[in-house]
Amino acid sequence: MDNQRPPMEGEPRRRPTGYLFPAWTNKIATAALTGILVMGGVVTFVVWYYFSPKHTDVGYQPVQPVPYSHKLHAGDLGIDCRYCHTNVEKSAHATVPPTQTCMNCHVTIKKDSAALLPVRESFAKNIPVEWVKVHKIPDFAYFDHSRHVVRGVGCVECHGRVDQMEVVRQVQPLSMSWCLDCHRDPAPHLRPKEESVTQMDWKAPSDAASFGQDLVQKYNIHPPTDCSGCHR
Amino acid sequence: MSQESAVSALEPAPLVEGPQDFNTITEKVCSIVEAPTPLAWYVFFAIASGCASMLLFMLGYLVWTGIGVWGLNNPIGWGWDITNFVFWIGIGHAGTLISAILFLFRQKWRTSINRAAEAMTLFAVACALIFPGFHVGRIWVAYWMAPIPNQMGMWPNFRSPLLWDVFAVSTYGTVSLLFWYVGLVPDVATLRDRATSRIRAMVYGALALGWRGSNRHWHNYEKAYMLLAGLSTPLVLSVHTIVSFDFAVSVIPGWHTTIFPPYFVAGAIFSGFAMVLTLLVLCRQFFGLKELITMRHLENMNKIMLATGSMVGYAYAMEFFIAWYSANPYEKFVFINRAFGDYSWAYWTMVTCNVIIPQLFWFRSLRTSIPVMFVISILINVGMWFERFVIIATSLHRDFLPSSWAYYTPTWVEMCTFIGSFGLFFMLFLLFVRFLPMVAIAEVKGVLPTANPHPDHRELHAEAH
Amino acid sequence: MSPVNKSEHGLSRRNYWRSLEQLENSPEFQRWAQAEFPEGLSEVISPVTRRSFLSLMGASMALAGLSGCIRRPEEHILPYSKAPEDIIPGIPNFYATAYPHSGFGVGVVVESHEGRPTKIEGNPQHPFSLGATDVFTQASVLNLYDPDRLTSYVSGGQAITRSAFVDQLRSKVSELKTRQGAGLRFLSGLSTSPTLEALSAQLSQSLPQAVWHTYEPVSLENAVAGGHLAFGQAVIPTYQLDKADVILALDCDFMGTEPGSVLYGRQWSRRRGNDGASTPTNRLYAVEGIFSITGAMADHRLRLPSSHVDGFIRALGAQLSSQGLSLPSELQMALEPHRTHPFDARWVSALSAELLAARGKSVIMVGSAQPASVHALAHALNASLENVGQSVQYSPAPIGVASVANPDTGLTGLVAALRQNQVETLVILGGNPGYDAPADLELATLIKNVPTSIRLGSHQDETALACKLVVPQSHYLEMWSDVRALDGTASIVQPLIEPLYDSMSELELLSHFVDGASNRGYELVRAQWQTALGTLDFEKRWRRMLHEGVIADVAAPPVQVVLNGASIGAGLAQKEMPQLSLQNLELRFVTDARVFDGRFANNGWLQELPDPMTKLTWDNAALISPRTARELAVKRGDMVSLKYRDRTLEMPVWPMPGMADYVVAVSLGYGRTHSGRIGTGTGFNAYLLRDSSAPYFDAGLVSTRTGGTHLLATSQEHGSMENRPLVLEATVDEYQKNPRFAQEAVEHPPLRSVFTEHEYVGQQWGMTINLNVCTGCSTCVVACQAENNIPVVGKERVLRGREMHWIRIDRYFAGDEETAEAVQQPMMCQQCQNAPCEPVCPVAATVHSRDGGLNDMVYNRCIGTRYCSNNCPFKVRRFNFFNYHEDFTEIEKMQQNPDVTVRMRGVMEKCTYCLQRINSARRQMKLSGAARIPDGTITPACAQACPVDAIVFGDVNDPESRVSRLKARDMNYALLAELNVKPRTSYLARLRNPNPELG
Repeated sequence: MDNQRPPMEGEPRRRPTGYLFPAWTNKIATAALTGILVMGGVVTFVVWYYFSPKHTDVGYQPVQPVPYSHKLHAGDLGIDCRYCHTNVEKSAHATVPPTQTCMNCHVTIKKDSAALLPVRESFAKNIPVEWVKVHKIPDFAYFDHSRHVVRGVGCVECHGRVDQMEVVRQVQPLSMSWCLDCHRDPAPHLRPKEESVTQMDWKAPSDAASFGQDLVQKYNIHPPTDCSGCHR
Repeated sequence: MSQESAVSALEPAPLVEGPQDFNTITEKVCSIVEAPTPLAWYVFFAIASGCASMLLFMLGYLVWTGIGVWGLNNPIGWGWDITNFVFWIGIGHAGTLISAILFLFRQKWRTSINRAAEAMTLFAVACALIFPGFHVGRIWVAYWMAPIPNQMGMWPNFRSPLLWDVFAVSTYGTVSLLFWYVGLVPDVATLRDRATSRIRAMVYGALALGWRGSNRHWHNYEKAYMLLAGLSTPLVLSVHTIVSFDFAVSVIPGWHTTIFPPYFVAGAIFSGFAMVLTLLVLCRQFFGLKELITMRHLENMNKIMLATGSMVGYAYAMEFFIAWYSANPYEKFVFINRAFGDYSWAYWTMVTCNVIIPQLFWFRSLRTSIPVMFVISILINVGMWFERFVIIATSLHRDFLPSSWAYYTPTWVEMCTFIGSFGLFFMLFLLFVRFLPMVAIAEVKGVLPTANPHPDHRELHAEAH
Repeated sequence: MSPVNKSEHGLSRRNYWRSLEQLENSPEFQRWAQAEFPEGLSEVISPVTRRSFLSLMGASMALAGLSGCIRRPEEHILPYSKAPEDIIPGIPNFYATAYPHSGFGVGVVVESHEGRPTKIEGNPQHPFSLGATDVFTQASVLNLYDPDRLTSYVSGGQAITRSAFVDQLRSKVSELKTRQGAGLRFLSGLSTSPTLEALSAQLSQSLPQAVWHTYEPVSLENAVAGGHLAFGQAVIPTYQLDKADVILALDCDFMGTEPGSVLYGRQWSRRRGNDGASTPTNRLYAVEGIFSITGAMADHRLRLPSSHVDGFIRALGAQLSSQGLSLPSELQMALEPHRTHPFDARWVSALSAELLAARGKSVIMVGSAQPASVHALAHALNASLENVGQSVQYSPAPIGVASVANPDTGLTGLVAALRQNQVETLVILGGNPGYDAPADLELATLIKNVPTSIRLGSHQDETALACKLVVPQSHYLEMWSDVRALDGTASIVQPLIEPLYDSMSELELLSHFVDGASNRGYELVRAQWQTALGTLDFEKRWRRMLHEGVIADVAAPPVQVVLNGASIGAGLAQKEMPQLSLQNLELRFVTDARVFDGRFANNGWLQELPDPMTKLTWDNAALISPRTARELAVKRGDMVSLKYRDRTLEMPVWPMPGMADYVVAVSLGYGRTHSGRIGTGTGFNAYLLRDSSAPYFDAGLVSTRTGGTHLLATSQEHGSMENRPLVLEATVDEYQKNPRFAQEAVEHPPLRSVFTEHEYVGQQWGMTINLNVCTGCSTCVVACQAENNIPVVGKERVLRGREMHWIRIDRYFAGDEETAEAVQQPMMCQQCQNAPCEPVCPVAATVHSRDGGLNDMVYNRCIGTRYCSNNCPFKVRRFNFFNYHEDFTEIEKMQQNPDVTVRMRGVMEKCTYCLQRINSARRQMKLSGAARIPDGTITPACAQACPVDAIVFGDVNDPESRVSRLKARDMNYALLAELNVKPRTSYLARLRNPNPELG
């Protein structure tokens, strides 16, 4: 190569600046390689963990217009979920109760509590209370409460111990793969029809998986794993 | 004398003309990069980058408004978009073919053209990738084609040729890039050593990866180069084979054709060489590289074009034969429709440019005439673009059920996008010729007679004169 | 109905549970749908918490498909304050009612989601529709949500309140009372409502001088007049086509636009194999000048200009009597001279022989376009052929129909009065006479001169603009009323939703004139029927008639008729058939198969619906035979100026195979000047040529080429089948010779798939389409559009070939252009077992489902490569090139079906076999714990709507299911079977039943 070759006659002499990289630059290559590897790992982790619904959605706990406590009503007072969420066994939507339902009791109990003002107004003026939706699945996923509840999937499976929540929050990612986990292996999440689906602390008598396996047979449960099961 | 002349007539033309030694070659190539930028360069660059920015606007408009800004309709789901994709990918074949396959076959004449050809390959692939990338309806979720774990628990569909494309093209792009860069290292080192300004020295220095040209460097370099050549050789064939699967795998008459893989590869080399020729004819003119890129190079490329062109022509004929031989009414119809239907104008443009015109290269006089080969090389690329258009559009516009038949005309958006992709291509190429050695200095030196330590009789004889 | 509260911007909005549908319709969603990314970015401006930031990152990462995890925008749940007991959110309710179409009722069941009527279905309980519907019934729901509807009362161009209007009206009425209603005229469209009749009767008490006029652009006045001639009483013929072996349709499109078509189509189809017989057992002769869908289904078709049909039936009558049919003597005499005629003698004699052979089991039907004399003669022949009481019956003509026919109470009477300024107050109830009255009457200008003109109408249309006071009219889904079907069967029209705007129904407006009180429609209708049926357990009967949508056992018994030969004979005065030529073309006005008489001009579904025969959308054209076109030296789209009497109209031509030569057919209802954002300016207004003296057809038209052209958007460019085995057909003989002709139509090597094929487990859905009965009427197309939220894309995009209909009805012509035959083939996703679209999708957005075995299309997974569509041999996939739901108004959104995802731009879509219906059936099954879904539970929208019952859906894995039994038939074949795609939808080959003598 030129750079070893002594210049020949007639060749115009040019003064090479001969810039030499300092010694530390030799490390750049190795440093860069390791850096890329590490960063790759970090990015993968961040995406895998922080961007997953497990992180972004679980724990969502919006402030509601009325400080309604599920802990008090469902937990301490032990009111059955279905007293308010009346359509959960009939319809796709569990339905948030009409103001009427609240007033059934609250015409007499705590009838001038400040906290209940929005409820009384709603009832008087016939305008809805604007509850903030907690458990949200995208509009192209058609989830049906009745189908699950009637087949023996307890409320607690998806909503967690609502009876212990002052303010309801999301406890499950409600992501597609999370749905599929159960649709592919429903057994551990089933309970017999005799048992109440609304009982929050229900435990399978024996090992849940094998116990549920019998129920799968008994009720011939085949949760759809086709796209068309939920998307249309 | 007469005897000598007879002998010299039998000798192959030298790969490097004129009195050349190592230094003159270095000077010739490096001076292009080192000399002050010619005004013409600025002019061309302005035009090219202008078109490139138009491309940017077109794509922005497309994403913002929807695929509807293109002329596509119900039967014709792919039009200029995929046509351009296949067109550019095809062009992107010559480079690696020249550098890898000719290298393995010890075709010394490749040396002075391979660098530019490889660069062109990379830029063509870059242009190609735009189209499949942007032709999707919802580009913001195009990343679903990549097998990334996600909360949906969904993988891409590995049965889909479109997915194979993604892998094939990206692999090809990566390997070509490496191959090209490895080849560049010694020459970049030369530029580094000749650098007169600190910045140049640093930039080229960084790019040269500390190349000192020691024996060990050369040893490893040769090995690496050989390995990459071996690695990319199958890729040259695989890429366009897989691109052809997009069509061959389908059920649509005119697409559903087993001859596609070889036919596409031949076509790709055909168009690739045409593009190389177009560029080099210009370069050797502008940058006075006539002695390095000699008539022999150009002529060899023309021969290859003649060969591949004839292959493509054979494939066209064979398609018709099979259509008839298959006794499949739909298949028959498609080809009759190609030749005589609404799109026959496109078909006959294709045949003229790809099959008939290249036959002129049978004549040495035409094969060695710069203007002739320049015009023909451009016509060939026109023809090859139409080949893809004919395959895609005419097959779709009239398939099984006549009730769904329709006609497709592009909108101004599609046209500007296509022009824009040329802008991008030339912009990149201009940057290349300005800042990197467009001829492989080290390799050309390797084919100089003086580089041969053991000259046999004939060469000595040649030396004497 | 449950309570509705009005929101400030005037449109009534229930505070219903808003979940899926709320998200689909909310502005937030719309914005999101257009650009979910910016939606997320806007968050950055607001103070960013760790959560919101990360979920934003999640959003930008997840983008469209994954945006399930984007918690933006914050969504609210609005429960009822006081819940109505009849609504369970998420579960649709169905109510029976009736759709009044140009006066006559079609029994329907309406699907309502949380109080929003979204879909019309046929009511199987209704004796005169048997669950069948037509395009108009299906599309009528869209009119309810027409964003251009009149939202307020208008007085002299100024919007006024309802009360203000009512005050004006009250004073007006009292003033009228003082002079017995002199100078008061009513003009209404045809109505058969018993309550309305009762009210107008009361009106003649309270305002004796008032006169009631009725006008329908297209109606039965000729048939009724014919009845008068023949029997001396006002009767309407109704037919039992399922009892008829031989049917002769004279210029009568009884499967298309004629009144009663809904029922007649179904009756006719019963004898074409729908009743289980392997071959057709009836024979249809059609004589017509235009090429109607009825003509296309005929076994024998004779091309005759409408003006020659009179001559033809005379010739037929003469032939019949010569072959021994005993006719009244006067009639026989009148027919004598017609023994010699210019028509195909073989045809006429063969026909008459068949008619005679099928005494009591034949029908001669005459189109409403034909003059009274032709109807009368047809009545006479039917009677003499002993068909009356068998295949032909007569029901009393409603007062309305009779008054249309009567010149005094018809439109002409009114115009006379207007011209003599005898009209002081004109009340126009419905209709649109300002637009659709014959041009020579210049009604619009006359109305302008009336001192007080009150207009009840749904739009600020041509008529409204001519009137002083305009009252917004309630849609039939918003009002209480009642209506009779053609045969007199009465139904209650009950509302499904409170009026979206503060509108009135005909009854409510009328009641002001009767007793000045503003009664609610409910009280009026209920009172009417209470008086009609008596109070004896009325409540029970009332609830029953509301529930069933039909008022049982009150239909009038068939009228007994006695032929009056003399008057018929008199009607047959000697008259020459016009000699048609280029200089003397026949101008034929036809009811449009899409916009009817113009009342549907602002209905996007119907505007974009391809005409069953021409496949023309968004326009009407002058249809002429190819030969006439050649002689006029015009081709498709050339503008011609049509000169008739002293009026001219410029229009594009459309050469139509199979039409009679020298006939120019123009369809009514286009060229509206004030119909709204959809209909204004589409097509060309044929009423401008219409003359009250010859409202349906007349000779004397001259056509000259203007040199201009007009772009006509058609959904099917290519009409030839290219000799491909697509629509397979045979004559009955051929079929009996080789019953397997359909399966043997294509020969191919044994088929093998490179992929392991999907196994049939559980219930596997499939479909058959019976080409033997499919008329191509396109009702399924509209039903599908209503059910599946399919957007309307507009003329420009249809021109580009981007229409979105999931069902495409392929119409192919066969034979030469003169005596062309046409076949129809509904083409939707065939749900291939080995679907070519599936393997090519890079992201598995279209895959095969295990239970059901359908070809799923997952919109929210689709990235829009369009590869599936390219690789679809049937080209039945549709791509959202733009965001077609972008500019939906809140009102339009109310029609959307919440059970079907609204597709955003950039995704592919296609027929799903109405997956939402399959899923709801499966849900029912799971809730009830049943093992399988019983056959017939699931009916896709297309199958439900089909008037001829051509589409059958069911479990192909169950050999006993109806669909399996049909697939077992030997004329069952799968399209493009040689590709080994194994379509789930198969077709039953068409059989023609020609008369051997004409063979």
